[in-house]
Amino acid sequence: MKKRTLRGTFIAGAAAAALLLTSCGFGGGTTDGGESGAPGSVTTLDMLVPSYSTGTKALWEGVIKDFEAANSDVKINLEIQSWENLESVLKTKVQGNKAPDIYNGGAFAEFAAEGLLAPATDIASEATVADFQPSFADNEKLEGTQYGLPLIASARALFYNKTLMEEAGISAVPKTWDELHDAAMAVSEKTKADGYGMPLGSEEAQGESMIWFAGNGGNFGDTASIAVDTPANVEATEYMQKMIKDGATQKNPGATQRTPMLNTFVQGKLGFAYGLPQTVGQIEKENPDLEYGIAPVATKSGAPATLGVADRLMSFKNDGSKTAAVKKFMDYFFAADVYTDWVSTEGFLPTTKSGSEKLAGDETLKPFLDMLPNAVFYPTTNPAWNATDGAFKSLMGQIDTGKSAAEVLKEIQAKADAAS
Amino acid sequence: MSVATAPKRRSARTSAREGGSFLSALPWIGPALLLILAIVVFPAGYMIYNSTRKISQVGTDLEGVGFANFSKVFADPALPRILLNTVVWVVVVVAITVVISLALAQFLNKPFPGRTLVRMAVIVPWAASVVMTTTVFYYAADPNYGIFNKFLTDIGVLDEGYGFTKNAVPAMAVAIVVAIFVSIPFTTYTLLAGLQAIPNETLEAARMDGANRWGTYIFVILPQLRGALAVAVLINIINVFNNLPILKIITGSIPGYSADTLMTYIFKVLQFDRRLDISSALSVVNFAIVLVIVAIYVKTVKPMREV
Amino acid sequence: MSILITEDRASRRTVIWRMVVGLLVAVAFLIPYGIMFFGSLKTQAEILAIPPSYMPREGAQWSNYLTMWDTPETPVAFNLISTIVISLSATLLVLLVATPAAYYTARFKFPGKMVFMFLVIVTQMLQPAVLTAGLFKQMLAMNLYDTWLAMILINAAFNLAFAVWIMHSFFASVPKEVDEAAQIDGAGKLRVLFRINLPLVWPGIVTAVIFTFVSCWNEFAASLVILSTAENQPLSVALTRFVGQYSTAWQYVFGVSIVAIIPVIVLFMLIEKRLIGGLAAGAVK
Repeated sequence: MKKRTLRGTFIAGAAAAALLLTSCGFGGGTTDGGESGAPGSVTTLDMLVPSYSTGTKALWEGVIKDFEAANSDVKINLEIQSWENLESVLKTKVQGNKAPDIYNGGAFAEFAAEGLLAPATDIASEATVADFQPSFADNEKLEGTQYGLPLIASARALFYNKTLMEEAGISAVPKTWDELHDAAMAVSEKTKADGYGMPLGSEEAQGESMIWFAGNGGNFGDTASIAVDTPANVEATEYMQKMIKDGATQKNPGATQRTPMLNTFVQGKLGFAYGLPQTVGQIEKENPDLEYGIAPVATKSGAPATLGVADRLMSFKNDGSKTAAVKKFMDYFFAADVYTDWVSTEGFLPTTKSGSEKLAGDETLKPFLDMLPNAVFYPTTNPAWNATDGAFKSLMGQIDTGKSAAEVLKEIQAKADAAS
Repeated sequence: MSVATAPKRRSARTSAREGGSFLSALPWIGPALLLILAIVVFPAGYMIYNSTRKISQVGTDLEGVGFANFSKVFADPALPRILLNTVVWVVVVVAITVVISLALAQFLNKPFPGRTLVRMAVIVPWAASVVMTTTVFYYAADPNYGIFNKFLTDIGVLDEGYGFTKNAVPAMAVAIVVAIFVSIPFTTYTLLAGLQAIPNETLEAARMDGANRWGTYIFVILPQLRGALAVAVLINIINVFNNLPILKIITGSIPGYSADTLMTYIFKVLQFDRRLDISSALSVVNFAIVLVIVAIYVKTVKPMREV
Repeated sequence: MSILITEDRASRRTVIWRMVVGLLVAVAFLIPYGIMFFGSLKTQAEILAIPPSYMPREGAQWSNYLTMWDTPETPVAFNLISTIVISLSATLLVLLVATPAAYYTARFKFPGKMVFMFLVIVTQMLQPAVLTAGLFKQMLAMNLYDTWLAMILINAAFNLAFAVWIMHSFFASVPKEVDEAAQIDGAGKLRVLFRINLPLVWPGIVTAVIFTFVSCWNEFAASLVILSTAENQPLSVALTRFVGQYSTAWQYVFGVSIVAIIPVIVLFMLIEKRLIGGLAAGAVK
């Protein structure tokens, strides 16, 4: 018995040694491909993208497969990360001088400001760049140069539960803050459901805040400076606080994440919530019997305004040897057929002129497309935007814990100032 | 007791005779040393280096700033509350874990039919990923679709779901429960292994001396368990101190820093403020605190038995 | 009723009490995993239903356990293999490296011993989450980026501490006379370690193996940045792939988590007997 143990130990040791020598993994250990430009060589592009939905990976893999079939000299290494981990992985790569050649993300200005990104004209043909709708293209510029290629757009709209409204005796869909307040109060008091869903947890505090700020003509500032603690924003925040205090919202909005909040709406346990085009698909899948409608965002005066969000594709220059290959990919991807298929499968709004024309008849997207002209965007062109976004996520929920609106916004402003 | 002390004196002499130089120890400790030097030293050094730099949000190293990051860290108004949370977190979790584990190990050492199955059940929280275990607790405690809340309303304890994880204090309490839950298996098994190593003769000798059960436990079993217990507590202190996932999941959605420990604060600085330099400085502080605690612990408890 | 007769000759009453308590303990530790298991048998819509259901209402979706191996999000079968290879190799490496170190430090005095033991425990104090920046750079420089070997080395290095310390404490509890007797018989140190000491400290080794294996099995922070190819990633990282921006495939998250527990339990079953070995079994008389 003891002998066997001894031998076993040695065998295990030998096995471990063998494993250590050979274990590279599945297709791992691949370093960068050959120099581009040399005839017959293959350029390998590293691509880092977030996962929007459960179908994102398959969708990109399909695009890449077709692209590689048409372009045998370019190979693409796709890496997918969840939104939560995307930026920390990216930052590690940037620090290690291994930034991705193609990156899909939310913020770009800070990268551009440090000269890490290739200008849009280097990574896409003139025709492709000219095809973006001007309002989106403008959001991709830093000091006059466009860096990002807008990939998707989305806008928020008010989702309302018809059954609950009827039960609470409300006939008109709220258009103003006061109407929303009263309708939400009626739903919370007269039905078993909550009135309005306010997600101020770390997932989406910046989005919810921006919707309310926009409803009062406010925003987060512009390219030059971040301005959070403005009178218009403070007033909007105070109204949010009033909603919370009066009991028009669900409990603990300060610690509520968006995804579970929208799920309560999908399940018919919430009167009103701001949702996205994807929410429509979610309802179809998880609770198709829900009686609901979609309306413009409620604002202070009733004038139309909403939050618009755009994500983009960009390219880190690295040593600059791969721009030609990146350009091939971008031109391939943004062609109307490939692009609209991608955008509509993910349920987003298109950012290109040709894509919008193709998707103009889409019933699901229509209410959101209609709202785009009045959309306020995050100041993504400001290098301090990313830090501002983070500050909203970790601090905005405090308006639910008794801190005054002005105080909370001042704290966020301080974080933004520290970053610029 | 005499069994244990007699050989000790003699062995001290033996080892003095055999006590080799560092070089003769090298073949034995060399591989471990090599692994540590090759893998751990660089990233640890890099963390310390980063803590003295100014690094852009993107990750570009801009310039050296000496100890400016540290003065910022110490001037942070949120720090005292965070340190207090950290102390409460570590002390409560480790203390309760150890008490429950001592009892559980004692129980699992008793023979009864089905003991192997119970032992296996106890190992499951250890085998499962902490992230997933925590996630299940978090969702079960959700006021709307949490099963735990549904159960409490079904049996009439609550009128409607309660947001256990929505406010700092109850959320911290839930996190502590989860941390204890996932720490018990490891601690119990270490102690169980320690119990196995106690010679039967020692126990029988105590029994023959007419010691009662508690007497046997305190004067015979506990001293024999010292080695295992000391190591288990040490590893627990370090791991609980450095635990990120439990608090990140359970208290992560709470605004502000009132439910943060040092570790989750470091994470927030990295994730939301995007400051690698400040978070590195915080990590160095965190590391220094653990180092001091461990040094004091090793000095006073002496988990290494002297030969 | 012979089943109720135990080796410590406890009364029937006592044995029944122990079984009852044992059952309660088992249930307490299994509840979250029961929730997980029933969740894995629900449809995605039912998992998020309000109010929730205890059991799958629409019939158990056993098919989740078939479809999860190759989901659009991540190649789970490959992830499982990667996790097994990395964890087993790292655990073996730890054993190979830690056993001689623990034995020697427990048996012999030498200058620098305290420093060595402290250095070992320091590796446990460093949080991998804040070291990833450096680890990433290092693995790129060592040309190990996106390889299993990188994660085997990292896991082994950062989990060495417990193995060294716990085995040290167990070796130290073996009476020295055992060694001395063997040495008089002319056995070398290595022989004394393997032949005489190892069989006596099985409980310590088992604990060290489980601890190391489990830590490697669930390691996340370093794998996230060092393994970029989907197939190479361990299950801990693969699970995050099910989390989309607006929806999460909970049935797969739960199902994969349940499957991920099984190998650890199997490993435990294989070596559990050893826990009862060692001194208590009367190997030393």
